[in-house]
Amino acid sequence: MAIVRMQRIRVCGLRRQRKRILELLQRRGVVEIDEPDREEEGFERADVSAQRSSLERELKLAQEAVQLLQEAVPEKKGLLSSLEGRRALTEQELEDFRAQSTKTAALAKRVLAAAREREEVRTALTRLDTEAESLAPWAALDVPLRPKGTKSSWVFIGTLPGAWTQTALEARAEPIPLSAEIVSASDEQTCVFVLCLRRDREAAEQFLRSLGFAAPAAAGKTPPAERRAAIEKEREALHSRADKALRELETLAEHRGDLQLLADSLTMRIEKYHMIDRLQQSKHTFVFSGFVPAAAAQPLCGELEACGAAAELSEPEETDTVPVLLKNNRFAEPVETVLESYSMPGKGEIDPTPVMAIFYYVLFGMMLSDAAYGLIMIIACGLCLLKFKGMEPGMRRSLRMFFFCGISTTFWGFLYGSFFGDVVSAFSKTFLGNEVVLGPLWFAPVDDPMRMLLFSMLVGIIQIFTGLALCAYQLIRQKRIKDMIYDVVFWYLLVGGLIFALLSSDIFAQISKSDKLPGIVGAIGGVCAAIGAVGILLTGGRESKNPVKRLLKGAYALYNVTGYLGDILSYSRLLALGLATGVIAEVINSMAVMIGGGVVGFIAFVIIFVFGHTVNIGINLLGAYVHTNRLQFVEFFGKFYSGDGRKFTPFADHTKYFKIREEK
Amino acid sequence: MDQLGMALALLGAALAALMAGIGSAIGVGMAGQAAAGVVTEDPGKFSKVLILQLLPGTQGIYGFLIAFLTLLQIGVIGGGDVQVSATKGLLYLLACLPIALVGLWSAIRQAKAAVSCIGLIAKRPDQLGKAIILPAMVETYAILALLVSILAVFGITPLAL
Repeated sequence: MAIVRMQRIRVCGLRRQRKRILELLQRRGVVEIDEPDREEEGFERADVSAQRSSLERELKLAQEAVQLLQEAVPEKKGLLSSLEGRRALTEQELEDFRAQSTKTAALAKRVLAAAREREEVRTALTRLDTEAESLAPWAALDVPLRPKGTKSSWVFIGTLPGAWTQTALEARAEPIPLSAEIVSASDEQTCVFVLCLRRDREAAEQFLRSLGFAAPAAAGKTPPAERRAAIEKEREALHSRADKALRELETLAEHRGDLQLLADSLTMRIEKYHMIDRLQQSKHTFVFSGFVPAAAAQPLCGELEACGAAAELSEPEETDTVPVLLKNNRFAEPVETVLESYSMPGKGEIDPTPVMAIFYYVLFGMMLSDAAYGLIMIIACGLCLLKFKGMEPGMRRSLRMFFFCGISTTFWGFLYGSFFGDVVSAFSKTFLGNEVVLGPLWFAPVDDPMRMLLFSMLVGIIQIFTGLALCAYQLIRQKRIKDMIYDVVFWYLLVGGLIFALLSSDIFAQISKSDKLPGIVGAIGGVCAAIGAVGILLTGGRESKNPVKRLLKGAYALYNVTGYLGDILSYSRLLALGLATGVIAEVINSMAVMIGGGVVGFIAFVIIFVFGHTVNIGINLLGAYVHTNRLQFVEFFGKFYSGDGRKFTPFADHTKYFKIREEK
Repeated sequence: MDQLGMALALLGAALAALMAGIGSAIGVGMAGQAAAGVVTEDPGKFSKVLILQLLPGTQGIYGFLIAFLTLLQIGVIGGGDVQVSATKGLLYLLACLPIALVGLWSAIRQAKAAVSCIGLIAKRPDQLGKAIILPAMVETYAILALLVSILAVFGITPLAL
């Protein structure tokens, strides 16, 4: 529970064992290298950027091959396949694969070549299509489109705008004698073949131009009819080429796993080269230091020594920024993800995960607050967790978090009497004739929103005071008792005193319609609040020497009481979001039963019910998640947690498709 | 004029659904455009930007919620012989205003934050948690407005006016 203790490890080894030692470290994945970015005296840093960039090129090739293969021959995946996680591979299998990785690299090249072939075919086909289209109006013509004419005749082939007939054209041409033949005609243009005497050539040309004659865009030595047949043949040839390339890709798809492993193996090697970059090296030796979790330190040292390296452990120094690794039990661990998305605990801070987990589940449940929705979450997450054993840790944590949130949601749902809203009573009234009501175990927020609002704020006060308590604990651990009194105890007195004073006032009794506390409690509360206020006024600005400045800063600190008010009021979202889920669910139910009883009514009910509640779950799940996070980040963390720590990122295998299994 | 109360209350319900709905429609639309841009570059980010696109959508639901509750209270839905006096109708209209106005405005403002955060996701997809929180801050005020409207609508019903 909490932050894992780190030790500094210093390792010295011989250069000829470098590969073995680094691979051991990478496989174990427990050391974060912390080496200053400069050369120590007597050592130098190896420049391996050339090797690295050549590996990076190979990696790019492999990744491209995998991607192109995926585009051409998609891998069949189930809907939930992303839950399955990376495939496992033993170290031996990896070794065997590496021994013949050149063969796989050749496969990658074949994938790229086949994909390029398909691309070329596609371009060629488009070109042919365009040509065939432009030739379409000339399909009936059996001479080339650029005829030369004969000794005594001349030929014009081209298009005229608008629709023309043979007689109309010849009549229009008078007195020039010419013979026109219409190849094809449409409303927009007419394709014509015009024959005239060679000596009339110029006059005819002028006449045709005046009508807007234009030579055809597609021109060639072969007559269009023949050309079209040729295009058809070319197209067939291209299609068979594409088919062949696709078949090649389909055969290669059997090696998809190899290609993915190639990419992974290259990723690992690149990571290793990044590491080599950072080692301090002399002619025969190398040294480096880093951080290792204390629990893993001893076994690792043993293994390193077995490899012929010397390893030495020590406690981190005051000045070190030690990376943070969290370790929590199965109940609290899932919300580590939430903490990480805020920030890791900084120096001297505690890991708030265990405390936060309790609040997280409770608040989430209060916001979603529907027993049926909770049960759906429990079943869905539970089944996935049971079915997919090899799931990635991050995914497993998220699912487990929603599993616990589901339990809490079910709990609150029954307390508030919400099961798909009021489906039990709505359904029984419409279809069974007599209304069966699933009553709340505690009370229904819709019936008594004021009570729910007060309860929400009570939860808020509890969480905020817990935050203050954690702040006190941190200050005590750092032996800053005075700060603890000034920053925590005075605030407890002020805020707590004000709350009790309010509880015993007439206004409160009026709003909540309940009995107020006896006056004496209010008086004590008032006194406590006054002590707290004076204390904060005097100590809030204690870092200033100047007494006037100090008092002003203290007054400003006291003003922060409005911040507490805002924080507590912020918990009213527990009411608002809880009501939103319940009321929207009820709206869906009342729409679903609108058609009435009978078979048709029942079918309509089922359709509206399923669709409506699916949408409602989606929206409110998102809302509950976002606002639970917000209450943790702003209202809770604001009291004690700054979180400027750095996450522990060890030197390890960061692969995409495979994970390497440890051999026991 | 004995139906004036009913008309005023209905106007309130309509405004709540209308304005908050318009706000969310604008907001989700804006965020959707930005999201589409990101998905063009990397379809794998679809699920992440979808969440961000949905964030400004809640105001419309809150408006709908208040509209529905009001319709229920004045007997437009669910029937029942409910008499709504002119004063009471006006009170319902006023009760609907917080979510109507704040819903409209906060949805658009939240969408602007969401659009920026979609840009953030395009560059740093690992920062989804933070990207969700920033626009969600805006929503606080829509929730507070919803709360006021809910409490007001429930509070008016038992009044003998």
